[in-house]
Amino acid sequence: MTGDTTSAVAARIQQEVLAQDHGAVGLLENAPAAVTLTDVAVDFGSVHAVRKVSFPLVENRVTALVGPSGCGKTTVLRAINRMHDRSGGKVSGSIRLGDMEIYGRDAQPEVIRSRIGMVFQRPNPFPTMSIFDNAVSGLRFNGIRNKTVLQEAAESALTSAALWDTVKDRLDQPAIRLSGGQQQRLCIARALAVEPEVLLMDEPCSALDPISTSAIEETIVELASEVTIALVTHNMFQATRCADLTAVFLLDDHDHIGELVEYGMTPQIFSAPSDPRTELYVTGQVS
Amino acid sequence: MTQQLDSPRQLLAQRRSSRSSGRGYALLLWTAAAIFVLVLAAIIEGILSQSTQAFGHFGIGFLWHTAFNTVTNQYGAGQFIIGTLVVTAIAMVIAVPIGLATASFLTEMCPRRIATPLGVAIDLIAAVPSIVVGLWGLYVMQPVFLRDVEPFMKKIPVVSFFFKGFAAGPSYFLAGFVLSIMIVPTMVALSRTALAGVGTADREAAIALGATPWQVVRKVVVPGANSGILAATTLALGRAVGETIAITLLIGNSNLIGHPLSLLNPGATLGSVIVLNFGESTPGTLLRSVLLALALILLVITLMVNIGGRMIVRKSRQFGAL
Amino acid sequence: MTSVLEAPAGKSTAYYERRALIQASARGTLQKRRRIALAIRIVFGACMVLTLVPLVALIAYVTKRGVGALSVAFFTHTPTPAGVPGGGISNAIVGSLILNGLALVIAMPIGLLVALLLIERRGPIPNAIRFGADVLSGIPSILTGLFAFSVIVVHTHYSAYSASVALAVLMLPIMIRGDEEAMRTVPNELWEAGLALGAPQSRVVRSVVVRGSIPGLVTANLLALARAVGETAPLLFTAIGSQLFSTSLGQPINAIPIVIYQDGTTAFKDLQTDAWGAAFVLMVGVLILSIIGRVFAARLTRKSK
Repeated sequence: MTGDTTSAVAARIQQEVLAQDHGAVGLLENAPAAVTLTDVAVDFGSVHAVRKVSFPLVENRVTALVGPSGCGKTTVLRAINRMHDRSGGKVSGSIRLGDMEIYGRDAQPEVIRSRIGMVFQRPNPFPTMSIFDNAVSGLRFNGIRNKTVLQEAAESALTSAALWDTVKDRLDQPAIRLSGGQQQRLCIARALAVEPEVLLMDEPCSALDPISTSAIEETIVELASEVTIALVTHNMFQATRCADLTAVFLLDDHDHIGELVEYGMTPQIFSAPSDPRTELYVTGQVS
Repeated sequence: MTQQLDSPRQLLAQRRSSRSSGRGYALLLWTAAAIFVLVLAAIIEGILSQSTQAFGHFGIGFLWHTAFNTVTNQYGAGQFIIGTLVVTAIAMVIAVPIGLATASFLTEMCPRRIATPLGVAIDLIAAVPSIVVGLWGLYVMQPVFLRDVEPFMKKIPVVSFFFKGFAAGPSYFLAGFVLSIMIVPTMVALSRTALAGVGTADREAAIALGATPWQVVRKVVVPGANSGILAATTLALGRAVGETIAITLLIGNSNLIGHPLSLLNPGATLGSVIVLNFGESTPGTLLRSVLLALALILLVITLMVNIGGRMIVRKSRQFGAL
Repeated sequence: MTSVLEAPAGKSTAYYERRALIQASARGTLQKRRRIALAIRIVFGACMVLTLVPLVALIAYVTKRGVGALSVAFFTHTPTPAGVPGGGISNAIVGSLILNGLALVIAMPIGLLVALLLIERRGPIPNAIRFGADVLSGIPSILTGLFAFSVIVVHTHYSAYSASVALAVLMLPIMIRGDEEAMRTVPNELWEAGLALGAPQSRVVRSVVVRGSIPGLVTANLLALARAVGETAPLLFTAIGSQLFSTSLGQPINAIPIVIYQDGTTAFKDLQTDAWGAAFVLMVGVLILSIIGRVFAARLTRKSK
């Protein structure tokens, strides 16, 4: 099993999963991919973080990236909007947004990031800005000054993040006065206001209480109609609740480098995984 | 910060009362504190009590009169206050923007393997004694200013308004410029700490929205470091106001405000006039009291800078979110 | 569970219009935004050069003139009058060591004890003392000279120990705040551990807290010393300087900053040369103190990691 390349494994799993639903086979194959990762690896200097990652983010679906800690799922997520440019991580392989190569020579990281939004583990609204300024900060970074556009975008984004009714009367208050869950909603709204095609979420609920968590999970499911979502989570229940598709990452037994071991539709992954390592992981025998 | 709960320490303080060995220790602590408070009080009392004669003699007008005549015993603080403010202002106008820009460049815009050694070097240079900088200013910068810099300043429109008359060597401008070289490292070191204190999470949030590095600095890092930058500026200002010996070497020590009003004139500051005349004054004389009165004014100015700065910093921390 | 087959929910035209507008703006303004970022980077980089050039020039010039002034006699002889060769600043070097050594002896214990008070007690008095230390660290050094003058010199005469008192006053606030910060880095668990052992408070403090924060304390005291060594103004009204070799605390004494100030402002070339030599010695001494202090600080942060 370890002899197979992960992409081959993923492809076979895909086929096997979809073979059970004959109508689906062709459609997943033809399902439009917002982002396509092909044989992606990320290295930090001489340290290999993750390798052999190939899977698509299917358009307007939630794809969960699950796996034990240190298996590279966050590293892969951050590769998608070039967040490793700063931290010195080197990304090889191919990541395509539509038909644009994200690490291509002509690719402009700022433009890519305006098309691929990101929500982080801990709520990080800009502490010196008001709620409104936070919500429209991405638009301002990208050169939009028109007040009407800003106001419409703020309302639309805050509504999508299910925060509008809470904050519509106090948009000029400092963002840090909001509760943790509300702050994270604001961060989602901030990312959505730029109208990205893809939203990357890096364990967005890990710093939140259970009530805020389930509220955010609902929001994630609703958002999928607007935007393609990649959701990193260590919580497999969250993956089953939110994600249409799941990619499972595990550490290679020999050299402890993260790898993609299985990709497919979420129910399939959790009820009948085809890779024995996935089964050990989802049944809680590997952590 | 200082109000955080540290119960074991308080518990220890409670236990102290039941132990005889703790009593001697407490006595030791409070004695040290008492010495420190006495020193503070003695500094203020010494300056206050000796300056009353001058204020009694000249009244409140001492603050703005501009005389310093040891023959007729006519004295005023006006020109020295102005000298101190002018020299400080020149130094701050140069040092604050350059120091802030350098700190931003080091923390935000250049690779860490360059930034770290340069930052450490600047921290170390901040420790070079002011007398050494003053000596260098006297022997190296003064000729350069006379030959090149001052004629050049006279040619710039608007700026030339401040550079009238003849350049003779020592001047407000030379003293202020060398002073700026002295406080830039302080400014850089402290604002670097302030800028580095802004969390990675805030920076990444902006980057992930498509911000350019400058937008990250301008919209997120600088606003986030606001109170730290203010504190850095205050400390640099305090250092500039209090610097004495290097300025004494460079300002020319003229006890009069020259005509025409020009930065090329020699002048004096509160500190320099004390340094130059204190040794020659005899206790009990009016001159001695005048010098102590000048010291009192210097003390009040530095206290205002320190305490005022502290209050502004606290306020900006409270309302920093707005 | 929705199937992958279902087509994505339809979006309003307004939504796509806004997305197109934003993406066009992001793309359209990027070149300008990048140009601004680049221009700022160049300007700020130039500012860094402006910061460094005078500082490097200063150090290079002092080194060049200073090294030329050094000789065996420079370190072993006392000053000679202008025009008489073979003079040195041995009395100033020894004087600076005595002045600062004594100041350290005075200030260090007081600083440490006041810092301990600030750490262990809370309430208006410790807060006022902390505030006082902050204020005192900001007042001009010349005022500490005036203080020592009016407290000691007025009643006696110019002396080494009056200068040490002035320098000690200068060091004290830096030590208090530095020691306090250093000891705050000792985690609460260590206090708890000492307490659990039933040790009396003074023992806990001595064995656990002070010992645990020694690198930080060394840094704070060295930086205070580095600051005091270079001070000139307070010495002019206290130690006043001397041409003789003296180790007596009750007599006027020479010091390196005094040599720089006095010889540097004379018209005699040989005395000016002595001033440069003294400036070099002082600069190197202060840099060494700062570097040692930093090494200890670095060790502290490495340990706490």
